[in-house]
Amino acid sequence: MSGESILVKLQKIDRRYLYWILFIGLAIPFIRPIGLPIAVTPSTLSLYNELKTLQPGDVVLLNEAFGVGGIPECMPATAASTKIILRQGAKLIFVSPYVDYQILWARLQELVPDFAQKEYGKDYVFLGFYAGLEAAVAQLGANIRTVFPTDAYGTPLDQIEMMKNVNSARDIRLVLSGDTGDWCDYYIRQWHTNYGTPVGEIGIAMLGSSYMPHYRAGVLFGMSVGSRGGAEMEKLIGEPGSATVTMDSINVSHLLVIAAVILANIGMLSARGKGGK
Amino acid sequence: MAYPTDLFGLSGLWFQWLLLLMVYSYVLYKETPAYRFAEHLYIGITMAISLMVAIGNVTRIAIRPLMAGEVIYVIPLILGFAMYALLISEYRWVSRYPIAILVGAGFGLGMRGVLIPNLLSQVISTIRPPTGNAPIDWFTFVYVAIGTICAITYFLLTYEHTGALSYPTRIGRWIIMIGLGVYFANTVLFRMSMLAGRAQFFLQVLKIIPM
Repeated sequence: MSGESILVKLQKIDRRYLYWILFIGLAIPFIRPIGLPIAVTPSTLSLYNELKTLQPGDVVLLNEAFGVGGIPECMPATAASTKIILRQGAKLIFVSPYVDYQILWARLQELVPDFAQKEYGKDYVFLGFYAGLEAAVAQLGANIRTVFPTDAYGTPLDQIEMMKNVNSARDIRLVLSGDTGDWCDYYIRQWHTNYGTPVGEIGIAMLGSSYMPHYRAGVLFGMSVGSRGGAEMEKLIGEPGSATVTMDSINVSHLLVIAAVILANIGMLSARGKGGK
Repeated sequence: MAYPTDLFGLSGLWFQWLLLLMVYSYVLYKETPAYRFAEHLYIGITMAISLMVAIGNVTRIAIRPLMAGEVIYVIPLILGFAMYALLISEYRWVSRYPIAILVGAGFGLGMRGVLIPNLLSQVISTIRPPTGNAPIDWFTFVYVAIGTICAITYFLLTYEHTGALSYPTRIGRWIIMIGLGVYFANTVLFRMSMLAGRAQFFLQVLKIIPM
């Protein structure tokens, strides 16, 4: 063991040390922000621009298809988008296929102070949870009342002012889907293809590469990817929030991961050069 | 979100903080009884919430309309109960009916909307040159065009990858590896964001940074 070079030892480093370094490295930028610049990507700009075209009275369906684990990635862009939607005078319908839907709704209301100036049932409505994957999304498009006979508080939709003329996808101006999975695909297939409803995506980072072909093909009108997308949206509306604060930390984490990968590969190549496995 | 001042809010916040430590004790130290406790608590609470939400959903969508006289809703309820036949080996065949309906409906619905966005739009987008003169747009166009062709040639399994097919298939393999690398990097990015959120929460509870 004592004869091993430092590069070889690096390959055998206890991964717990790496986790500690990572955790501390992530925490430091919160205490001492670096303030790295954030450039806005075209896909986020398209999302912002389309939301800015909303007219008073337009109805937007916000599908929050992520659990609490997805909050750091999806919620910042969702909150920024919700602010735009409400400030444009559009009406908001909140639905979620995740059992965490009440936590998501509460967090969204915390992050968007504009809700205080709006009236429930007139400007926004919380329909709550729905199950049934793509079949439910298709049914929502055909007849919202069959999936949601009432809102999340038990009030029949017909008694909710803003829902009186909203029956199907044809009455919805656009859909915004916050995703950790395939839900945006369901809305593309069942709403965009069948009814022509524009669909925008707020996805976790790993969905960026999955949905980029859809964005480039014009199937999605815009797309926010992960915390980075959230930070871009916060920049566009001029209100730095949690994603902007988190970006420094995420950048540091990436540098640490890249450094770890480089060191491990140097160690491996060095060992291979000396006839090791 | 402001730092809570009432006892209920404070105790909830500190309990979250303790659970965070318990869970991370697994990766930062080793498997401990505290980690096991947090793990079991998480699974138990998640199952309980999921069960309650599912019961509430079935009640809202099917049972209430059924009680109101809409007899048609008895069909999905029977199909739903039939799924539980999976648990009884003697009657497992009963569960095949709801599963068949689910799979059939899933395929049918999926196929209806899949052709245009997933195939036609993608092909059009790939072969349509960019409208502007920005070099990055043209680079992307050429990269996507060459990448698509080469990646497809890699899957030509009925021909040996030699001669004229040698280079395109090699490039195709590289393109696929780069693509998979991007997927993996994005997956890491997502985990880092989650971890950053927890690191932020850790410091916020200790009042090192504002909440």
